[in-house]
Amino acid sequence: MHFSPVLSPLSSALCFTAATLPLAAFLAVFLLTRDRPLLSARLSIGAVAVSFACSATLLALNLNIQGQAEYTVRLLASSGIDIPFGYMIDRLNLLMIVVVSLICLLVQVYSLWYMAEDPGFSRYYAFMSLFAWAMLNLCLSAAILQLYIFWELVGLSSYLLIGFWFEKFSASEAGKKAFVMTRAGDVAFFIGILLLFLHTGNIGIRDLDNPQALAAFPHSFLTLSALLIFGGIVGKSAQFPLLTWLPDAMEGPTPVSALLHSATMVAAGVYLLARLFPFFSMSATALDVVLATGTISMFLSSTMAMVSRDIKRVWAYSTISQLGYMVMALGAGGYFAGVFHLSAHAGFKALLFLCAGVFIHRFETNDVYELAANMANRANRDLTAIVSMIVGVAALSGFPPFSGYFSKEAVMASLARLPNHAWLAAALAGVFLTAYYSFRVIFIILSGGRQPSSGEPQPSSGHSQHDARRPYMAWPLIILSAITLVLGWLEKPIEEFLLGGGAGAALPAGSESAHLTWIPWMATGLGAAGLILAWFEFGRKSSADQRIGFVERVPFLYKLFAERWYIDHFYRLLVNLVVDRGLSYLCWQNDNKVIDAGIDELCEGTVEGGRIASRLQSAMIQYRLLAIFAVMVLLGAWFWWAPG
Amino acid sequence: MTASLGQILLVAGILFALGVFCAVVRRNLIMIVLGIEIMLNAVSIAFVGAALRWSNLEGQAFVLFILAVAATEVSVGLAMVVYAFRRTGSFDPASFNLLK
Repeated sequence: MHFSPVLSPLSSALCFTAATLPLAAFLAVFLLTRDRPLLSARLSIGAVAVSFACSATLLALNLNIQGQAEYTVRLLASSGIDIPFGYMIDRLNLLMIVVVSLICLLVQVYSLWYMAEDPGFSRYYAFMSLFAWAMLNLCLSAAILQLYIFWELVGLSSYLLIGFWFEKFSASEAGKKAFVMTRAGDVAFFIGILLLFLHTGNIGIRDLDNPQALAAFPHSFLTLSALLIFGGIVGKSAQFPLLTWLPDAMEGPTPVSALLHSATMVAAGVYLLARLFPFFSMSATALDVVLATGTISMFLSSTMAMVSRDIKRVWAYSTISQLGYMVMALGAGGYFAGVFHLSAHAGFKALLFLCAGVFIHRFETNDVYELAANMANRANRDLTAIVSMIVGVAALSGFPPFSGYFSKEAVMASLARLPNHAWLAAALAGVFLTAYYSFRVIFIILSGGRQPSSGEPQPSSGHSQHDARRPYMAWPLIILSAITLVLGWLEKPIEEFLLGGGAGAALPAGSESAHLTWIPWMATGLGAAGLILAWFEFGRKSSADQRIGFVERVPFLYKLFAERWYIDHFYRLLVNLVVDRGLSYLCWQNDNKVIDAGIDELCEGTVEGGRIASRLQSAMIQYRLLAIFAVMVLLGAWFWWAPG
Repeated sequence: MTASLGQILLVAGILFALGVFCAVVRRNLIMIVLGIEIMLNAVSIAFVGAALRWSNLEGQAFVLFILAVAATEVSVGLAMVVYAFRRTGSFDPASFNLLK
């Protein structure tokens, strides 16, 4: 057994407070203050703010934590089975809960502005609190089963928030799609948990992350369970082939997308991968699958983003591709690179969505060209949002000095260590595509519309409450921009924190970031090439008349990318074949030919039997009399000759 | 000289068989009631013979009960026959088939 300290009482109390207050806010808002929107928002924001304070204090108190500390109680204990529930902290989830609670806090503050005057204001804040609670508990879970419970709760709350405007058919459809597709992965995840539990008898995270204990189990078993658990990660983090729910999830309110894409829903998958990283690295096959999945998702979603006209969808595709980078880094053994990119991405992706929300809220369209047409009037430009968006895009494309540059460089470095350089080449190509599609959006929006807007300024009188609440919109953007700007310089301290103190001991060698001198130049150069190409096609003054990208010149490619590589068509076909024509046909046949027909046969049999039995009814007294005598005689004979 | 139990049971059996025959074969309600009465009397004879054989008066006491029951049964049975005759105008049991 390896050494594991118990949480100090103060830390336990902080954990409990951080992880429980959002639930209290959810219950209070849902049960008591639904008809008082402002109070609901205050409760919810207050709860998450205290959670953030507790998380930060917890981090500060435990900066030198050794290994993992946990405080657990044994639940479900019976005949040799006991499953721990409780809180566990180590360096990974200390970092994670700070990121999660900070992003939740900023997004909730921003929502004060964005969701103002929405009839479902209280309900929105209740769900946001539920979301924050589920995600914080997921991070602090001490056992896989507990983690799975909150994993599902995260799925549930994202379903509720994606379908928040449920009156809109497409929104409720998108919510359902997100729920069902992630559930497909979760089935694999749950089977993986059961398999682990049956064979190892122990699903505490601390025990799973212990390579010495795992070495006793056969390699094939570890590979199988790792792959099954990875199935859940694929669903949650929208990796290939379950990636199509994420773009559709854009039907929810924009702050929800910001939260969903940065710190909560999709981050849960990568977090789990990092959480169980020592376990995954027991199996080289599983790591290869992880690496390949990340690469395919990264590439596919980048191509889809190149042709999308919906600003939120472009960011959604970029999320998938950035998650692909994280998964690739982890698959390549770059534990620090994956986690660091996750944290950096949480910051700049939340920033990008919140900026997009500013435009969408103002002009009520998601289409980049229509946004551009509206923004052609300079009075309509919101400088905070535009500057923040440029910061976010620069970070997304990996330009120095923003956080994305440092984290992507770490990812590249971990890929460069692999013997096969094809992975690195794919990742570098991805950098080019990322810079191209993200600056495409910027140039389209900023270079004005094809049809100059008729000069009428957007009616700002109707938005009085929004104008009053404008600081709630601006400050989260400024804070997130500042984080994006600063986080990269903190790479070294974060790396030392994450890998120090015995946490690195459980990790395989090479988890720290490696630095190769030519990679940053190469990546930045490719990013700049993407930027220049985007400018050439969309940003130049002379290109203002026909602003189409090189992809749109090849109709076949354009169609392929715009239809998302026909993945959704494939699923539709599959659902048609397997569910509609297969399963439901079988059920229909069963209903018709077994259940209905069975009952029909039973009824007809009864009628027919009655008809046959009614022949006995002769309405003749003497026949019955005769029958009675015959029976009596037979009985007499029976008793007379009966043996014994 | 007294008859043996076997002889008495033979007479009772013949009488019972005649009663059965009468009740089953005759197509007349009154004759059916009559056949049932004959069967009852055959049983009574068997009881009396048994009482004689084992010198036990309980058999004879039982016969008194049978007589009483037979009297009531005949009165009820004949009343039903009269009522049935009023409804159908016939003594033929085959004509009572309203429930079929």
